[in-house]
Amino acid sequence: MRILHRKPVEAAILYQRSKGEKVLYAIVFIIFLAYAVSLLFPLFWLLVNSLQDRTIYELNQMYGEGFAFPTSLHWENYSYAFTQLSYNGANIFMMFFNSIWYTLACVLGGVLMSAFTGYALAKYRFKARGLMYGAIIFTMTVPTVGTTGAMFNLVYNVLHLYDSPLYVILKHLCGTGLNFLVMYGFFKNVSWSYAEAAFMDGAGHARVFFSIMLPMALPATVTLCILSGISAWNEYMDVLMYLPSFPTIASGMYGVSRTLPREGNSPAYFAALVISMIPVLVVFSCFSNVIMKNFAVGGLKG
Amino acid sequence: MEAETNEVLDDFAQETKQPPASKEKKKKSGMKRRETIFLICILALPVLNWLVFWLYVNLSSFVLAFQDNMGNWSLVNFTLFWHQLTSPYGETIGMGILNTLKYFSVNLLVIFPLTLLISYFIYKKLAGYAAFRVIFFLPAIISGIVLVSVYSNMISPSGPIGSLLEKMGITVPEEGFLNNPSTATPAILIYCVWTGFSTNMIIIGSAMSRIPVEVLESARLDGCTAFKELVYLILPLIWSSISTWVIFLFTGIFNAGGPILLFHPDGGFNTMTLSFWIYQQVYGGGTYGGTGNYGLVSCTGLIFTCIGVPLILFIRWLIEKVPTVEY
Repeated sequence: MRILHRKPVEAAILYQRSKGEKVLYAIVFIIFLAYAVSLLFPLFWLLVNSLQDRTIYELNQMYGEGFAFPTSLHWENYSYAFTQLSYNGANIFMMFFNSIWYTLACVLGGVLMSAFTGYALAKYRFKARGLMYGAIIFTMTVPTVGTTGAMFNLVYNVLHLYDSPLYVILKHLCGTGLNFLVMYGFFKNVSWSYAEAAFMDGAGHARVFFSIMLPMALPATVTLCILSGISAWNEYMDVLMYLPSFPTIASGMYGVSRTLPREGNSPAYFAALVISMIPVLVVFSCFSNVIMKNFAVGGLKG
Repeated sequence: MEAETNEVLDDFAQETKQPPASKEKKKKSGMKRRETIFLICILALPVLNWLVFWLYVNLSSFVLAFQDNMGNWSLVNFTLFWHQLTSPYGETIGMGILNTLKYFSVNLLVIFPLTLLISYFIYKKLAGYAAFRVIFFLPAIISGIVLVSVYSNMISPSGPIGSLLEKMGITVPEEGFLNNPSTATPAILIYCVWTGFSTNMIIIGSAMSRIPVEVLESARLDGCTAFKELVYLILPLIWSSISTWVIFLFTGIFNAGGPILLFHPDGGFNTMTLSFWIYQQVYGGGTYGGTGNYGLVSCTGLIFTCIGVPLILFIRWLIEKVPTVEY
């Protein structure tokens, strides 16, 4: 059987504009265009200068030449980034490897735990429910400042997880925050009748969650995974603080930014930056529609 | 055959011995037990994580505020805090607070309204809206280190924007905007605005897309203008998303700041913020080293949390005064 999905017909009147509105929209379009150019041009500048000769780049800088195309493409900058660039003993491949496991640990732990807490609090009535929901909202809305020292003390002296990948896993088994709000909001709106029907057929709670509810939450889960993944991929502060021996591509680029441009090899640094962007740009171009459509956050009540 | 018949009869006899209500009760208690086991299984890890990484950390931070470096009970951290706050020298808490409030004000008064306007025009399908939406989201997916590197190069005296400004007759400091104490923080504030619309634009845009079209359609038929549509219809209808955002904004009031570590790892050129000052006290910036004075950091945190809690409660009270629209 083929199910026909019909797009909702949106009223044309919503998009009809008066003369004054047309002028306003034209002005806004120009402003948007300028802003879009301001975001894209620096990336283009980065790409162009990553192929620039290092001496010519330095001369351009010296003589105030803001932007100049390379006379020939210097791919050796990319070859340098792949073969010779390193930070804390890790080359770019090692940094990519560290980024991959760091991102996976953050995403799997964070999103799965949020799905657990969101589902339990949205669909079950139990004694500690109010307390737990209150604690999560309290955690999110109380402006705690300056716990960094206590956190470092905990990781370094109490748990002895400093510079250990186990820190990443344990820290991110967290079911609160924005991820919780999204999952809670989603499960709150899912009908419980699906679960009731499954219970009648003899399914257990775990089966209902993993086989029915979680697949239904797939759009929200995928969106959260992508956004958390991008955020983890670009995270540098946490890695610099707690995992100095495992530089990721983001923290590694920070380290390299302190040395390579000062050694007069900015084009190689730019090449490394371009390489570091490729995975997130690929993921984003594949899933941009999913991200744009499925991101919804409810209110903070409680 | 006979054995099977006896078994059936025994079962029947056993079943008839038990009153139906008790059997139902047992079944229910079994179901409840299974539910409890399931809930314990899925909630154990996140609860443990919260107890260790949030509750313990916050309690420990509270205790540290009242201890000196040797672990003895003392109020020395409060004295140190006061000295840091009032000291006219160096990159201190005083400067950190001032800059933090600047970042917060820019978030609240510039980025917040601009994001609402951007989301509105994208929702209203301005020409090229789909492309704009994707391009405007780029700062959320590109690493801060990439953005800071290109921005720093762009606005340096020899960069494209620096050169352009000089050609337009605008004086660019010889050392660059980012290396001049009077222009470094404004330059980072502009960076924050430049990169600040992305994720919230998607959240607000998503909330707008869930507004029933019929409501806006009938308003339009009644001659509602774009301004009235935004202020009197759309904003009240997406209030739950906006209020969440406002609460988060105020929750992060004392953590507001730009990527100072990427611009100036020592917090120099008057770029210090409160959160970066805390970071420096604990870890320092690699070669710069931290003081390791967790007590002073915790004491500072405690003071600002005490200021922040009533503020956020007041903001929540104000927000809850606004009636939410269910649809």
